[in-house]
Amino acid sequence: MIEIRHVSKSYNKGKVKAVDDLDLTVRPGEIFGFLGPNGAGKTTTIKMIVGLLKPDAGAIVLNGLDTRTDALACKAMTTYVPDYPAVYERLTGLEYLNFIGDVYGVPKAARLERIEKWLEIFELTSAVGSPIQSYSHGMKQKIVLTAALLPAPRVMVLDEPMVGLDPRSAHHLKEIMREHCDQGGTLFFSTHVMEVAEKLCDRIGIISKGKLIACGTMDELKALDRGAGPTLENIFLELTDK
Amino acid sequence: MSRLGSLLRANLKSNFGVSVLVHRFFREKKDRWYLPLVALGVLGLLPALYGYLRFIRFVFELLQPLGQERTLLTFAILLGQFLVLIFGLYYVVSAFYFSRDLEMLIPLPFKPFEVMLSKFAVILVNEYLTMIAFVVPVFVYYGILSKAGPAYWISASIVYLLLPVIPLALVSLLVVGMMRAVNFSRKKDLMILVGSLVLVCAGMGLQFFINRTAAAKVDYQAMTGFFTSPNSLLTKIGAGFPPAVWATKALAGAFGGEGLAGLGIYLGVSLLLFAGMLLAAQTLFYRGLIGIGEISGRRKALSRSEMSRRIEGGRHPVKAVLGREWRIMNRTPIFLLNGVLTVIVIPLVFLLMARVGTGNATSFLRAIAAGTGLTGILGAAAFMIVSGCLNGTASSTFSREGSQFWMSKVLPIAPRDQVIAKFIHSYGIAVLGFAAGTAVLVLGLGLKAGPLIVAWILALVAGVALTAVGMIIDLARPFLDWTNPQKAIKQNLNVLFAFFADFGVLAIVGALAYVLAKAGVGGRGLLAFLFATLALASFVSVRYLLAFAERRYREIEI
Ligand SMILES: Nc1ncnc2c1ncn2[C@@H]1O[C@H](COP(=O)(O)OP(=O)(O)OP(=O)(O)O)[C@@H](O)[C@H]1O
Ligand SMILES: [Mg+2]
Repeated sequence: MIEIRHVSKSYNKGKVKAVDDLDLTVRPGEIFGFLGPNGAGKTTTIKMIVGLLKPDAGAIVLNGLDTRTDALACKAMTTYVPDYPAVYERLTGLEYLNFIGDVYGVPKAARLERIEKWLEIFELTSAVGSPIQSYSHGMKQKIVLTAALLPAPRVMVLDEPMVGLDPRSAHHLKEIMREHCDQGGTLFFSTHVMEVAEKLCDRIGIISKGKLIACGTMDELKALDRGAGPTLENIFLELTDK
Repeated sequence: MSRLGSLLRANLKSNFGVSVLVHRFFREKKDRWYLPLVALGVLGLLPALYGYLRFIRFVFELLQPLGQERTLLTFAILLGQFLVLIFGLYYVVSAFYFSRDLEMLIPLPFKPFEVMLSKFAVILVNEYLTMIAFVVPVFVYYGILSKAGPAYWISASIVYLLLPVIPLALVSLLVVGMMRAVNFSRKKDLMILVGSLVLVCAGMGLQFFINRTAAAKVDYQAMTGFFTSPNSLLTKIGAGFPPAVWATKALAGAFGGEGLAGLGIYLGVSLLLFAGMLLAAQTLFYRGLIGIGEISGRRKALSRSEMSRRIEGGRHPVKAVLGREWRIMNRTPIFLLNGVLTVIVIPLVFLLMARVGTGNATSFLRAIAAGTGLTGILGAAAFMIVSGCLNGTASSTFSREGSQFWMSKVLPIAPRDQVIAKFIHSYGIAVLGFAAGTAVLVLGLGLKAGPLIVAWILALVAGVALTAVGMIIDLARPFLDWTNPQKAIKQNLNVLFAFFADFGVLAIVGALAYVLAKAGVGGRGLLAFLFATLALASFVSVRYLLAFAERRYREIEI
């Protein structure tokens, strides 16, 4: 569960208000899609959830633990994939995965099984012995995804995870996301792809200029009907129109 | 402004960050404490400048009666161009081939030579800054001493501005050609490493050269010989590298016939080489560049058993972070050079100087060897500390993570554990330096076991404090937004500040010991005092480091 309670964040000493009194809850077993125009505050919100940024106000609670007071416990149950993953280029894929396994305390048997499974799915098995430096952009993305799946986390936070993946990998990722939540995990991700959000998400939040302007299931969003049309794209365009 | 002009401007700006500094100082009013520090650093250099000026005057007065004073100019020009050559190789390779913004520039509608020109401009400015301390004093003081007219000052300015062009163009041609001819791209790491080692050797050569010159100072005959004899090194190099002679003529001949001829030919050759370089750039530059990020070695799938063998389990986070630090440091050539290689090379340089040269280093080492009891111990300890702690490992440990620092913030590793791992890594490299220093002391100077053991104890304790201080300095304001790993360590002010801080700590402890010695405290008492103060400093700094880490890891936003 992710509870974002009246969180605000601004940059440059308050000159740029990136997130403004954001309040929303993602329940266990739920895929939550976070939509919004460029610069709306999606990445900023995500960075606060995973502890890269400190909220100016408000609190973030993961499965009952406050990120301010139980930072380490919160991190131990969360994994994160950034929009542009900067990874340890000088390590091999396997060394990197081992490092992640060590810091999350994944035992050897589970580690072996999961690594083999995800590498197979993402077609990385033949590359895992080489330095990450030699990977393509999508391969880097996939090794970071594999690392994020390795600890079998209860909370996953992904920033535009489909960008740069080939259709097959993107397809697998969607299945994996579903699977994660069917097993009771919580998943929060941002995207610009309306079709993905519409098909995949249990609930959707739309943020614009730092404020949450709509939040709910697909049906609830449709019920907001302002004569926009039936698809998420119509709703999005209508809501974010100025 | 033309396209090329704006490219040049953007490149210079992003490299010398004047706008960032101005913004920091005057808008955000941050980092203002830099200014007094920089001023202090400049003040600290004044005595050295004074010494250099005296040396110039001395040589001038020595040579003037012989009518040979212009050789002084040749000396300065050669020295400047030599520096340009050494640093140039390094700057050129990293700027032309290994800076990340190339990926951004290449697709833009610029011609290859334009991209290269913009890089060249950055290097040129770097070189002016490098030479300023060595060449400008000679040019200016010579002008004053010889009561030169305006013609001299004009030619001096022209010559100075053109000084780096010839050697840099030569290096660039060499590098661009080499990159094209041999497919170095697959071995780019090796190339940087070899290049850097060549650099270190050349630097050592320069040391000898300067040492010799400095030593010859007392000997008028040798000095005069050095500057004037047809067989001297200077004359030989000058003959082999005529641009220095032309430039000298241009300077000393003012606007007379000989001077103008010198200036003309010097200018012409500079421009010619420069044009040649641009031409080569146009045809060869991009072709050598293609595939630069390629990694050597073929990819092969790991077998099941291999995979199972390589997947470990249950390492403590501290061990995991330590493994990461060690691997990344040693696999990034520029980091390797500044860590493991430095701690081995520094003592070796000292040893070589002791064998060959006659400079300060020698007398220092001789004093350690000859020193009985206390002096021997303290000298050996100081030598080991210099060998092990005067490198950027500790003071760039956070900066080196760069954009990858997000993982250190997101992963569930207590800041304390991360810092402990980093400490062990930096301290390990320091201890390696102590060992290298010891090897030199024992093999080169035959120091005995007794004093060595005591020196080791002192060095080990001091090492803890200095490592912790370096880490605290880097943690206070880590430099994380670099694009080229070279910047994380070579252009990282934290490394410089840590040097000052280290010297400060040692100077304070040393001064206290000196006061005690004056007050009649004996050898054992002094050693006990040193041990106690250093242990206390270590304890305090490590405690502070751990507490500071908890706070800073929360504060640093990325
Ligand atoms: N490091 C920063 N410094 C200053 N302002 C920033 C910084 N990062 C983001 N901002 C500002 O905060 C606001 C929100 O940015 P954010 O990156 O969260 O948007 P986003 O919704 O992720 O956009 P996109 O869809 O383009 O990824 C923007 O106005 C942006 O300019
Ligand atoms: Mg974003």
